[in-house]
Amino acid sequence: MQKALFVGIMVSLISGLISVFVVLRKMSFIGAGISHAAFGGVAIGFFTGINPTITAIIYTIAVALGIELVSRKGKISEDVSIGIFFASSMALGIVLVSLSRGYTVDLFGYLFGNILAITKEEVLLSLFVAIFVIGLIMLFLKEIFLTSYNEEIARVSGISVRAINILFLIVLSVSIVISIKIVGIILVSALLVIPGATAQLFAKNVYFMIVASCGFAVFSTILGLLLSYEFDIAPGGSIVLTATVLFLIALFLKKRQ
Amino acid sequence: MKAIEINNLIIKLNGREVLKNINLSLNEGQFIGIVGPNGGGKTTLLRAILGLMKPTSGGIRIFGRPPEEVLKTGCMFGYLPQILKVKPDFPIRVIDVVMMGRYGRVGILRWPGEKDRKKAIEYLSMMGVEELRNVPFGQLSGGQQQRASIARALAGEPKILVLDEPNTGIDVIGQGDFYHLLKGLQKRFGITILMASHDIGTITAYVDEIACLNYTFHYQGNPLGALNENVLTELYGKNVDLLLHTDICDKCERLRRV
Repeated sequence: MQKALFVGIMVSLISGLISVFVVLRKMSFIGAGISHAAFGGVAIGFFTGINPTITAIIYTIAVALGIELVSRKGKISEDVSIGIFFASSMALGIVLVSLSRGYTVDLFGYLFGNILAITKEEVLLSLFVAIFVIGLIMLFLKEIFLTSYNEEIARVSGISVRAINILFLIVLSVSIVISIKIVGIILVSALLVIPGATAQLFAKNVYFMIVASCGFAVFSTILGLLLSYEFDIAPGGSIVLTATVLFLIALFLKKRQ
Repeated sequence: MKAIEINNLIIKLNGREVLKNINLSLNEGQFIGIVGPNGGGKTTLLRAILGLMKPTSGGIRIFGRPPEEVLKTGCMFGYLPQILKVKPDFPIRVIDVVMMGRYGRVGILRWPGEKDRKKAIEYLSMMGVEELRNVPFGQLSGGQQQRASIARALAGEPKILVLDEPNTGIDVIGQGDFYHLLKGLQKRFGITILMASHDIGTITAYVDEIACLNYTFHYQGNPLGALNENVLTELYGKNVDLLLHTDICDKCERLRRV
């Protein structure tokens, strides 16, 4: 349980931060697409015997950059390219899994989260990824923020918007993969949207939105994990439902304002 | 050295020619108005000058350097795009918007400091919106947003100010004040100003030079020369009615408001 709480907090800090920009840059569909595409990456790990986390990270970064490339070239619209990458990655995953029978228990864990099987290495990994993600975003915060506000003004200010977009996609992919252990592939996109959306209801500036989003994410995770422990319910679902209820309460409070 | 030098510029978009035979020579510190109908290529020309769009053929030089090179410095231009596509619930206050104008000066891997904040407030008060600085940008009126955005464009203390239809959201009286402000900036800081507008009437009183653009330049030079039926017909098409504003009209408006 302690390991789950620690990794859960790391994951919520990461997701909370990333969620702010997923919401502002209107990337929730890309987030969902990359999360589901991760399944293909995980399956490649099963099939080849390489650590699925590593293959998932490499694969999701490749998909994210692939989506960016395809939509930039302009021939196919972005939402179509996301849809195609997402579905075909899942299909690849399903095929590879069927070819490597005997891993169905692990598979369930990847799809729905598996907080009971967190290893010491994964605890450390979550810490490093948190430092990496938070560090990078904070280092380039003003560039990411201005690019999210208006890409042309950002370019005129000397920012390489393309580099920033690629950086964000890489950070997003890594964050998604690390969150899979806690909430599973199916629900990970919820953590990328709900905390940020909740924070946006009240935030007047971006720093506040980041703090609020991380706060909501951490709260949802801790409460969700405790509830799942107490009532023996699925932790991933418990966390996401808690986050949803928090969002609805915030929405209600905002409407009353 | 010329601030902006354009030679035989042609721009094609999706196979279609949008700008043809564009030649322009602008000295530093000049205020030029680019007028013409919507769809005539004004925005495209501005974007090409800024380095946001590559020419199909022909050359553009900003103080002798190509636009892509200038773009990387982040300090040359202050830009006000035509329609600011900003979602109203974007978590940003007026002061944050203006601070973004300083990012080009601050540079990568560095944080804005006290000096940047002071400059931001200086330009906010110059534009008359200093009291609004902690208000969420989305809550401002159209005219207030324009003024705050202009403060943002100026905050980086650019050498060239590029304004694309800055008059949207500002009423007629406000426009007069706005032009006065620009002239003041021009005199005080020696900035070069490029303004695209479809409002040919008011602009001619304030600019040093005017260029009439509809796919190509139909006229370039002294502003008063543009207020000519031949030029306007070529620019806007047939059935052009010339209505002249005079001093009397302006005074009437002011009296009626008081």
